[in-house]
Amino acid sequence: MGAAIAVAAAAPAGHRALAGELEGLARQLRGATVRIHSSSARLDAIGAGVLWRAQTGVVVVTNAHVVPPNRGDDVHVEGVSGYETEARVFARSRQLDVAVLALETPPNELTVATTGDARSLRPGEILVALGHPFGVPGALSVGVVHAVPNGDDGWLRADIRLAPGNSGGPLATLDGSVVGINCMIARGLGIAIPSHVVDRFVNEVLTPA
Amino acid sequence: MPSASPALRALSNDLAAAVERAGRSVVAIHARPRIPASGIYWRDGIVVAASHTIRKEQDITITLPDGSRVRAQLAGRDGGTDLAILRLDANPSASAVAVASRGGDEALRVGSLVLAVGRPGDEGVSTSLGVISAVGDKWRTWSGGEIDRFVRLDLAIYDGFSGGALVDADGDILGVNCSALARGTPLAIPTATVDRVVDALLTRGHVARAYLGVAMQPARLTNALAEKLGLGEAARGVLVVMVESDSPADRAGLLVGDVILSAAGQAVGEPQDVAELLGAERVGADLELSVVRGGEKRALRVTVGERAPASDVRRRGRG
Repeated sequence: MGAAIAVAAAAPAGHRALAGELEGLARQLRGATVRIHSSSARLDAIGAGVLWRAQTGVVVVTNAHVVPPNRGDDVHVEGVSGYETEARVFARSRQLDVAVLALETPPNELTVATTGDARSLRPGEILVALGHPFGVPGALSVGVVHAVPNGDDGWLRADIRLAPGNSGGPLATLDGSVVGINCMIARGLGIAIPSHVVDRFVNEVLTPA
Repeated sequence: MPSASPALRALSNDLAAAVERAGRSVVAIHARPRIPASGIYWRDGIVVAASHTIRKEQDITITLPDGSRVRAQLAGRDGGTDLAILRLDANPSASAVAVASRGGDEALRVGSLVLAVGRPGDEGVSTSLGVISAVGDKWRTWSGGEIDRFVRLDLAIYDGFSGGALVDADGDILGVNCSALARGTPLAIPTATVDRVVDALLTRGHVARAYLGVAMQPARLTNALAEKLGLGEAARGVLVVMVESDSPADRAGLLVGDVILSAAGQAVGEPQDVAELLGAERVGADLELSVVRGGEKRALRVTVGERAPASDVRRRGRG
């Protein structure tokens, strides 16, 4: 009897540990994720963004399709820890669907995302996404790598459930490294721009001329 | 950055290793416009595919896991189970592709973590994760194929995934994924069925289907008749409502209006009961029928025939 109870009590511990690990991972990613609200005559969008380390400081990286079209346009940025600030569109590529935002008044302490290389992933590896699907703030989704980027310009594809509001948010590995920026859902697959493509764009637009 | 996921990390590594291992047996098949489909290297020189993804019979090429392209010939297909087999023109080297390593039937359990592994093109292997959502007994597809176990999946069969492998967390292959057998519902055809169909296609070119040539409907005997014949109350049978001319049933003398009480010694109450006795192994064998005709019981012996192989049924199904 005692042994049976011990077994019954021990069995769920494995998946409780998994849930605990995911919770920790979500907390870690939320620190580097922001909520972006763009409202203008032509656009009223809510998306996610990632605090990204650039050579010149910290920027917000998101999708081009969640921010207004012109350089200098204003968007509203909120951090999960509660800070709010205005930001400007610094650079935007419709082709890559990437935008770089400059924060007007960055808070003193910012958690910047660590990034990883999507090209070294293996299909089947577990990935997590953080975002605001249908406006739900800071929601976590879990899935696996569907296919690794084909060549240097390909997309990272994930078998993961995403929704509008995940756009611009991080797709990360289990150690919290951001390997892509979620940008669309195609036939049920989550499509992300690999971090090295984002890095390339960020470096290109922020390099002093 | 904290890397605080030992258990998850282990699971993630297991899943990636399973995809890698199974992926050595999963090939891409170029036999339709646009998206290629997946196939499994089932035996030496033989690839199993989903029949609905093979849209042309000539100039079929296959991308092997090492990236090389080889030519293949369609060696047979079975619309009933939606399986097809392709024979490679030349046997590939062991480093190019590995024969599928199969898991046992005991791995088919509701709730088991499984992966669908496909190769819809030349860009490498791809996958989706889910669970087995239902496991049932032997069933028959709407087009008459016999499938040994009903295996329903809760995972995404993406475009080009039909014909790919259902894989357990060890990387063993449990079946062939197909989205075209039940209105797009993701199902897997278990390995036992695949083996049986591959054997049949290789030896005869098609899968034999037993055939009587009758249309039937359920019937209940009147109490008076049942009593007269010494049957219990509520005796049931199947009423013959049509006999195809020159069919096995016709040659055996079965008539419209006969009520079949039993076949091969087993009581039958539904047309399905008779159909279930007509497995491929019955072709050419005698089937003893007990029928009621004109209020009298009589025995008939039908030599079971073989249905002409159906041409491939074009199916609707993603993947």
